[in-house]
This record gives sequence, structure tokens and C-alpha cells, in this order.
Amino acid sequence: MARQDDWMKKNLYKPDLMEVLEVQRQTPDVKSVRVRFRDGDRARDFSFNVGQFGQFSVFGSGEATFNICSSSNWKDYIEFCFRRTGRVTETLWQIGKGDTIGFRGPYGNGYPMEAWEGRNLIFIGGGIAMPPIRCAVWYALENRAKYGDITIVYGARTVADLTYATELDEWSWQERVRVVRCVDPGGETPEWKGEVGLIPTVLERAQVPAQNAIALVIGPPIMIKFTLPVLDRMGLKEEDIYTSLENRMKCGVGKCGRCNAGPVYVCKDGPVFTMKQLRSIPNDF
Amino acid sequence: MSTAISVAALGELIAGWIGQGKLVAAPVQVGDRLLYQALSSAAAAVFDARRRPANSIKEFLFPRHEQIFRYRLEGKEIALSDVVPEEREQIVIAAKPCDAAALPILDRVFNWDCEDSFYTARRARTTVVTLACAAHDDACFCTSVGSGPADESGSDAMLFDRGDGQFEVKAITEKGRALFGVSSAEADDGTLKRAPQTKFDPARVARYLEANFESPLWKDLTLACLGCGACAYTCPTCHCFDIVDEGNAAGGARVKNWDSCQFPFFTLHASGHNPRSAQPQRQRQRLFHKFSIYPAKFGSTLCTGCGNCERNCPVGLGVLKVLQAIDGEARRLDEKEPVQA
Repeated sequence: MARQDDWMKKNLYKPDLMEVLEVQRQTPDVKSVRVRFRDGDRARDFSFNVGQFGQFSVFGSGEATFNICSSSNWKDYIEFCFRRTGRVTETLWQIGKGDTIGFRGPYGNGYPMEAWEGRNLIFIGGGIAMPPIRCAVWYALENRAKYGDITIVYGARTVADLTYATELDEWSWQERVRVVRCVDPGGETPEWKGEVGLIPTVLERAQVPAQNAIALVIGPPIMIKFTLPVLDRMGLKEEDIYTSLENRMKCGVGKCGRCNAGPVYVCKDGPVFTMKQLRSIPNDF
Repeated sequence: MSTAISVAALGELIAGWIGQGKLVAAPVQVGDRLLYQALSSAAAAVFDARRRPANSIKEFLFPRHEQIFRYRLEGKEIALSDVVPEEREQIVIAAKPCDAAALPILDRVFNWDCEDSFYTARRARTTVVTLACAAHDDACFCTSVGSGPADESGSDAMLFDRGDGQFEVKAITEKGRALFGVSSAEADDGTLKRAPQTKFDPARVARYLEANFESPLWKDLTLACLGCGACAYTCPTCHCFDIVDEGNAAGGARVKNWDSCQFPFFTLHASGHNPRSAQPQRQRQRLFHKFSIYPAKFGSTLCTGCGNCERNCPVGLGVLKVLQAIDGEARRLDEKEPVQA
């Protein structure tokens, strides 16, 4: 029996069971989920860094990789967010309060929140990139004295596609926080008071001071590609621009080979990299 | 002092191991192919120092399909149960040295940072007896990647074909000594004289790769590739895998399956973006992993020069031809602009 227990402790791929506490519909095809470890000891001992990710699974459908989008200061539960787009997320879409899902993690490096202390923070996200930014925004707000001005530039295709819309409002009321919301041309509604345009354009128009700032840019590769020149014109250095890569993953622990790009395993060496680091890696993203 | 053993005596040993409940695997003639398979009888084992099986021995340590746990739905609760790998001792006999040499390479992948206990449990109860090569074919290039026809890496014992129905036995590790009860003996170095010539310089290849990620060469060299993945599946060192659920919401198992970077879905993001959407990019990845990425991380090539990729390739491609072309190109460049010493 002891041997069986040893084995169970050693099974790298066996998930923890988590109880679904709450599911919120964020957009027509995005939901956020709050989960709690079923095992009390595991819940008590668990900790993570914002920016880390997990392998979330629905038994019978499989695993998918999501950022842990809650703040690491929130102790009773973790949250993640997903878009209904494939086999696992289609089943996830059907889950509700009280259901059980699997979780392996936390994996990856996370954001260097300590290194960012004393800096102004510019968060730039497109579409489903709000969740991995949200955890860092909350973390910074909860440690407000350690960080300077916070600017959040967030855009989606349409008004309905903006995730965490109420939290964006909540943040915008705080001191030294500026929230710039935008939607793609044609995605606005008559009531829309935010910007209309693509992220790079809106970012440039917003004239965010770059002094003593770091930027965290997450979104589709095409968005990042056109945002980088804007950040450069703003005066940000490559080592001060961060992103979180979204390579497809399976094992999460540097074995299965899937997220390998150049010399890095995104799951182990990332997912958070500076643009300076990425420049030294072959363009295989 | 070396100890010779006859084929008949090897058969008796194998029969004895099977009788003790051990799993014994060896090359077996299946149609016109030689394949490593678990033996049901000792007679099926083929001791041929001149031919190479079409598959590799990795599947006895890293099976192509493996349950990692089972799940069962009970009301709203999920019950997980562990799958403990079979505890039988296993012996792989008459393996090629280029297959055995892959095991220390795989050990690093499955042990670095954290341990894949499915692999390590199997590895611990496996004994590998190799048969040194007495011949090579055009696809062989072990000597180009620092290996050779009597490479002892990964072997617990090695057999040498004397050509008269007798095999010299060299015990290399404790496990090997436990099987044959002989102390380490000097090998017949006649084998080494029959080694393939070196066919490229891996260091020069690695230098070229580092500097030429975006080279038109990739497309030219790999245009013929069909993306079938036969190279990866029959490669002793390829280890990429998938994790999927088999079953339904009521119950089933999560499994690890072999996968390959040659398949377009391997890197496909949920968004539809695919970093490696074309076959030459996927070929490039496989070569980079073997000759640049793995060496930078672990200090040796992720390749033992067995040549299976070429022998099993429906269009006769394999890594050797690509590497030779790269080596040739690198040499031309070096001659134009000599590397600073």
C-alpha cells in the first residue's frame, strides 16, 4: 500500500481535483471559472506567482492550458478564463457550480513583479489577453505603494467581446490608474464611449508617458508585431517590454516537446519573456 | 577473459528468463521486416549482427500508448485511480548499440527538472543486451555523431558475433553481469574496423544551424517530405508525446501517446495561429532539436546515427541527407570566410 502511495505522489501527470465554485459568462464565447481544491491540505499549501499557468482538464475531454487569472493574493480559490473554441473548451462551456475539474500546476515563470516595483506599468492586451493581464493588475493594485502609474490599454473586436468589463470600470476609478478601452472599427455600439481603432493606433494616440515604465503586451501575434514599433517610438527599451507566449502545450514540464521554440521550452523558460530575450531566439512563434 | 556463448545457449537463457516471468524482447522476423517485439518463445529471437530492426527499443520504456491514470464519475465527484506500470523485469536482447545509446539520451529528457516516473520505473527494471554490429548500410552514420558499432552507452552487456555461431559476451554493468555471470571481457575490436565512415561534422552542422534559421536551404532540402512522421516513430531518440483522454464523461483514462513535430496540429494554437504551418518549418524544428537545441541543453546530439529515419521514409529523405547538404554548405561558407580560431 505504501508503494501505491509513493507512486501517487510521483505521478507527474495526475491532476488535483477542483470544485467549480462559480462560472461567469464574460462575452458570447468567453467564460471565467472560479475553482477551489477539493483537498483541504493542497488548498492550504498551494501558492503561485501571477503570470503562471496551469493545465486545466475536463475528464473525458482532456487538458487545456490557461493562465491563472486571479491574483496570487487571493487564497481560497483560483480563476481561469477560456474561449469556446475546441474540444476541451466546448465541454468546459457546459460545466457549472459543483462540478469537478482537474488542475496541474502552477507551471512556468510568471511575471517579475518584484523587479517591476517602483516602475510605471503599461498593460496592453487584445481580446482574450485580458485574463493574463488582469492577475497582474490586481496584484499591483493590492500592493499599490510598490508601483507607479498604471495604464491599461485593452481592445477587442466588438464591445460585446470585452472581457472583465466591470473590473475595467472598477480599475478606472482608482487613483493613478488610466484605462483606455477600444474596439475594432465596426465593433462599436451607439452607446460606446471608448476608442475605436486597432490597439497599435489607439496606444499611439493615447500618448502614455514611457518614462520609468515597463510594458506587458499580450495578444495575437499580429497585434504584438504592430504594437512593438509603437512602444519603440514611445521610448521603451526591449528589455522593458514583456509578453506571455501562448504556445500550445501538453505536459507543462519540459518533456513533451510541443512548446519548444529555438533553445527555449516556453512551459519551463517562459511563458513570460522580454522582447530582448525573444529577439535572441529564432522567430518560431 | 572473454566467454563465448552459442546461439542455442542464448536460446536456453531466453527461455529461462521467460520461464521466470520476465518480459524478453528481441528482433523478430515479421514478414520482410525485422522488428523488436516481446518474445513468446525463445526461438523467435533473431541474432543478426548485420541487420537493423525497423523500429527502436524505446517503446519498451516509453510505450507508444500508455495510461497515466483512470477516472470515474460518481455523482458530481470524480474518482481518480492510479495506473501502476507493470512490475515485471524486462530484458531487451540483441538490441543495436544505436538503440541502446538512445537510452541515456532519453534519461535526461525524462529526468531533468522533474521525473517522469512512468519512464524511470520501466528503465530501472530493464536490462539491455546489445549485439555489436558486423555490418552497416548506406543509411548508417553512428560514427558521425560520436557513436559506433560497439558503442557501450546504454548497454548492460554486449554480444559480439564470432561468425561461427558463437558470441563473445562482454558484461558492462552490474545488471549485465547478473545475466551472464561473467566479468567484463575485452571485446573483439574487429567490429570497429567495419564502422561506417564519418559522413558529416556535427559541430560544423550545429554552427551552421545557429546562424541559419532562416535559410532557403530548408525549403529546398525538405520539399519532398510528406509529413507522415515515420522518421519520428521509428527514431530511438524522438520522444515528443501527446496527452489525451480516452473514454467519456462517465469514465475512462488519460493517456500519453507518441506524437511528432512533423504533424501540423502539433503546434496549432486554439486561435488558429500555427508557428510551424509549413512542412519545411517542421523539418527544420526536428533537425534543430536534434543537432542544436538538445546539444545546447544536454551536451550531446539527440541522434545516435541509426539511419532509421531514412530507411523508413517513404521518400527516402531522413536526417543524414539533409545534414550532409548542410555540412557541405557550411564547409563552403567556412572556406569563403574561415572561422576565427
